[in-house]
This record gives sequence, structure tokens and C-alpha cells, in this order.
Amino acid sequence: MIDPVQLYAWHFMSYPYLPADFDEKYDSGWVTVPNKLWDKDRSRGLLNTYIDQLAYADELGFDGMVLNEHHQNIYGLMPSPNIIAAALTQRTKRGKIVVLGNLLPLHANPLRVAEEYAMIDNMSDGRLIAGFAPGSGPETFNYNVASAPSRDQFWEAVELIRQAWTREGPFMFEGHHYPLRYVNPWPQPTQRPHPDIWIPGARSRDTLTQIAKNGYCYFLSSRSHGKDTAKAVDRFADTLKAHGDRYMPKRMGILMSTYVAETDAIAQEESREGIWYFLRNCLKGHQRREGRQLTFGPGVPYIPPNEFRDYLAQSDPTTPLLGDTQDWGDLQRAQSIIVGSPDTVFERFMSVLEHAPVGHLLIQFHMGNMSDECARKSMRLFWDEVAPRLKRETGRMFNERFGRDEAALEAVKA
Amino acid sequence: MSAQLIQVSGRMVSLIESGGGEPTVYLHGFADVHGVAGDLMPFHAALAERTRLIAPAHPGCNGSDDLPGPHSIEDAVFHYLEVFDALGLKEFNLVGHSVGGWIAAEIAVRHPDMIRKLVLIGATGLFVSNEPIGDVFMHTQPERGVDYSTLRRMYFSAADEPLALRYYPDGRGDLDEETRRYQMIRFCSFVGFKPPYLYNRSLIDRLHRAKMPSLVVWGEKDGLTPIAHGHAYARGLPGSGPLKIIHGAGHAAHVEARGETCEAIADFLRR
Repeated sequence: MIDPVQLYAWHFMSYPYLPADFDEKYDSGWVTVPNKLWDKDRSRGLLNTYIDQLAYADELGFDGMVLNEHHQNIYGLMPSPNIIAAALTQRTKRGKIVVLGNLLPLHANPLRVAEEYAMIDNMSDGRLIAGFAPGSGPETFNYNVASAPSRDQFWEAVELIRQAWTREGPFMFEGHHYPLRYVNPWPQPTQRPHPDIWIPGARSRDTLTQIAKNGYCYFLSSRSHGKDTAKAVDRFADTLKAHGDRYMPKRMGILMSTYVAETDAIAQEESREGIWYFLRNCLKGHQRREGRQLTFGPGVPYIPPNEFRDYLAQSDPTTPLLGDTQDWGDLQRAQSIIVGSPDTVFERFMSVLEHAPVGHLLIQFHMGNMSDECARKSMRLFWDEVAPRLKRETGRMFNERFGRDEAALEAVKA
Repeated sequence: MSAQLIQVSGRMVSLIESGGGEPTVYLHGFADVHGVAGDLMPFHAALAERTRLIAPAHPGCNGSDDLPGPHSIEDAVFHYLEVFDALGLKEFNLVGHSVGGWIAAEIAVRHPDMIRKLVLIGATGLFVSNEPIGDVFMHTQPERGVDYSTLRRMYFSAADEPLALRYYPDGRGDLDEETRRYQMIRFCSFVGFKPPYLYNRSLIDRLHRAKMPSLVVWGEKDGLTPIAHGHAYARGLPGSGPLKIIHGAGHAAHVEARGETCEAIADFLRR
């Protein structure tokens, strides 16, 4: 039997106390956003409120909680997601703890990540999902990581960590970037041979190949969904096939954001401020045309020139990005933030999943400066009134569409 | 003039050769041949009237293969030693602009006997306290997705300078030119992103080894490499006179004020 879709609560931990005229006065919410805007009095307890929201998701029954790493911005106050993950090991009992992920090229020695992840896996009794990411444009500037060699550095670090968890130590690692004489980490992870590894990717063909070849899980790093999401599933399925494997929903995840309330009108009313704070402020410098977007482009040259040329030929630099969204209609078309009653949210999530049958839905509930009360209400309504239907429908759909492939895979293994 | 591909240790290197007489190797920068233009610009053509000009494209740029694996400024220097071997060049003039000037200086301090005369135009490469080289990586990211005015100001005296607008127009530019711009910034990311940016902290104390006659030329309004770096090169290179300042010009002084810059360099090479 193939599992129904797994539902996770993702918290970005944005900074909620920006002045009302932030968008007029400041060019970016990333890298150069002045940290004098940090209000230390109002911010007391903020990170604990966010941790409490994730623990609440675990109490409700979500399949897991998702954290990620960001630096020097207002979008995510989690420079070290491992610290939040460590707190969650003590506050939660059931759900997976998904760290998506540690940005490996930012670490002088990725062995430290192997060690910290092993600690989290032990402290959570085997609930860690280990995400690794290379970091993108902003991190290049924040930590002075050269873009051009960063992908090479990233894959070497992933390989080092995988070996550190699976090879008998001590062994010597003959890396270009991380040559090490003695690799022999203690403790080792609880999960054997190692925690599931998830890796985000968007445009790079090389990323898909590496993920397929090594049996990792592919997280599509895009905030908007439509034809391109379905295409990404197809491309990943083709890549798996080329490596003697088959696509299964559990091999892929996507991010969606939602706000659920009793009716569509109430949902819009309650989420309006948080969503527009998120779009205008948190995405400024990341996914907005206004200002200087640092996430992708010629100044962060991490993809090969031929792929950049393809990107130039196929893209228009004036196309609005998610953060340029003008109204609810625009937002609905982007299929990024789904707002509405439980019926509306179920139907719209299901329509994305019908086109892109992924096994992991990573869902952002808290957006921008949303209140604790609203974030919890939305999570509760989602879990009580949307999740059961999503589980039932995807369980049926996945088994219909992939049951035969799964049987074939099982037969090969046997 | 001929554009050619030569093989160097199994890699292809694209270069343009023009003119005759004493050989002069030209190492390019951003707003330059190979860095954006596919061919020699009027400055290089004028220089080639006085010398045999050889202008290779850096690894990964304008038809040259990448160096294998991740690489540093040291690898770029060694790459050029192999290029000189392949071309049979034993003694020659070396002219470098911007990052090409940095590579030229690194070669000169290691192999002073190879270089007859050295010319640096707006060269990066030095660390000068409180005079940081501009963040060309940040400014290569356009504002509002389309506005390259701050990048143009890094390379030229003004954002609305006609040649600046010709090579770095707002919005989507010519696909070949945008790809060359990308290749050049990518090469710089490999060799010079760390430390921030485009310098080698040891270089300044090594300049004393480069005793050949040298000319350091700087655009008065260089928006990428502060003019203090020009003075530091001129002071540090034993064979250099005072800094030659091109008034009114920016970082790519040879492109923006090609007559005056070319004359100064040609005079120097002739002496």
C-alpha cells in the first residue's frame, strides 16, 4: 500500500514588527535590511511563540514540522534551524522533524552538520529528516560563499555526510573542498542506515540526477504551482527512470501556504494583513521586482553558462514575481497561498495534487505578522476539516496511479 | 586579425591576435573584449597598430574552456603560464585591465623575467584598508529586474555614458553579450569572490619583485577599483612612475577614453 500524502507544518519564523512604512523606506528585507529595526522589547518570547505553534501542530497530529536556515533577513529568524530542532525534540512526541535544510557551503566543515543531525536524531528517537541545501544568492553575500564553486562544494559535503553516517570510521576523506584525515563521528544517527535525506532543487538538471542516483527525496523549491510543478514531477520521474528507478509520491515534496477559516470571506478578512505583510516585506529582495532581488541572477553565477543562456532565452525580466501580487485574483492564479473555507482549501490543494502527485505537502500556516491566534486556528481547521479528506483522496489516487509500479519495485527488491 | 582556438593542456583557449612586431599579451576585464564584446574594441585595434596584440579569453569566457574543478587566482596564473608556453612566448609586454590586471600583476611578481613591460589599467588585486573594491557581484543583480544603472556606474564614469548604455542596457540585452557578461562574472566568482572581493592580501608585499618598467593607468572616476589602489600599485611597483590618471574616465578608461589611454600606453611601450 502506498501512503497517502504526508502533511507537515512549516514555520519560517518571520520578523513581525516592521514599521508600517517599511516598504516605502527600505530597499530590501534581505542581507542589507538594517538590524536597528529589531525591537528587542517586543521580540521577547517571539521565538518561543513560534516553537509553541510547531508543538501545537504535533499535538494536532501533523506528520511533521519543517524548519529551514536563513541569515540576515526578516523572512526567517532561524540562522541555525538545528537549535529549534533540538528544542522540538523535547517538546514533541510523534511528528518528523524536517530540517530543510542546513546550508552546507556555509559550514567550514560539514562534519559538524553530520554530528548535529546525529544528535537531533538521537534526541528525537529517530524522527529527523535530514535536509541539505546549497544556499542561494542571499547566502552568497551574507557568508561570502563564492557562487560558482558552491554546487560542487555542496555535493561533496553531502557525500561526506552520507559516508560519515554509513562507513565504518575512522576513514580518510579525499575531498577537494573538505579533505579530512579522520572521519569518525560520535554519536551516530538512530535511524539506520541513515535518516531520509531531502534536497531542494529548482532549475538544475544536475541536481535531479544526483537526487535520483542516490535515492534522496526531491523538494521542489518553488512557491508557486501550476504547469511547471507538474512538469517538474515528470522531469524527476524521467530522471528516476533513466537511473533504473520509478517515481513514487514519497520521493517528492512541495511547499504550499494556506489560511483556513469558516468561510472564504472570513479567511480573507483574517489573513489579509499577514499575507500582504509577507508578500510586500518578507519577499522584498527575494521574490519581488521592486528593489534588488538577490536570490537568482547573473551576480550569483552558480549555474553553468549554457543553462543561464537557456534561462535568458526563456524568461522575461519584467514578469511579476510572487511578491508583486496585486490582489486576491493574482494570488489565486499563483497557486501559492490558498485562502478559504475548508471546502475551498481541500479542492484547491487536491487540484494541485492531481496534476503533481507528490507525497509530501509542506505547509506554511504562519505568514508575516499573523497573530498567534489566527495561525493556530488555521492549523486546527486544516487538520480537522481538510487533512482527513486529503488523506483519503490521495490514498485512493496514489494507489490507483502508482500501485502497479510499487508492486513491480517490491518484486525487484524481493 | 584572427580569432583562434588553441589547445593548452587539453583545454581550448580562445584568443584574438592582431598586428605585428613585439608581442603584447592583453588580459581582459569586464567592459572589455571577451568580457562583453565578442571581438576587439577600437582601443585594442588601435594598440594592435603598434604591436602584435594577443588577447586570450579567461577560462570559461567567450569560447575558452573552464579550468577543471574549482579554481583560484593561483590556478588562473598557472593557466596563463601554460598559455604562454603553448604560444612560444618567452619575453613580452603584458597589459591587463581590471581582473585581467590583477592576473597580470600576479604573473609579474612570480616571473619578472618574462615580462618586458607591464601595464595595469584599473587593476583589482590589492587590499587597501578602507578603500574596498566595489561589490560587482551585488551590482550585477539588476534593480527591479531590469535596471543596470549602478553596474554601469561601476564600469564607466556615468550610468548614462553612451558606451555604458551600449554594453549594459537596461532590460534583456543581446543574448550573446549577456552570456559573455555572465561568463566573466562567473570566472571572477571562482578566482576572486573570497576574500570580498577580487584581491589577494599578499600581493602588495610582493610587488617589489616586479622590477620591469611599468605603467599604471587609472580612470579618474573609477567606480569599481578606487583610485587609491592605482596609487598603491604605482608606489609598490619599482619600475613605475607616478599614476597616470585619465581625467573624466571611469573604470574602463581604455574603452571610454580610448585615444588618450591608447596614446599613453603606446608611448610607454615605444620608449
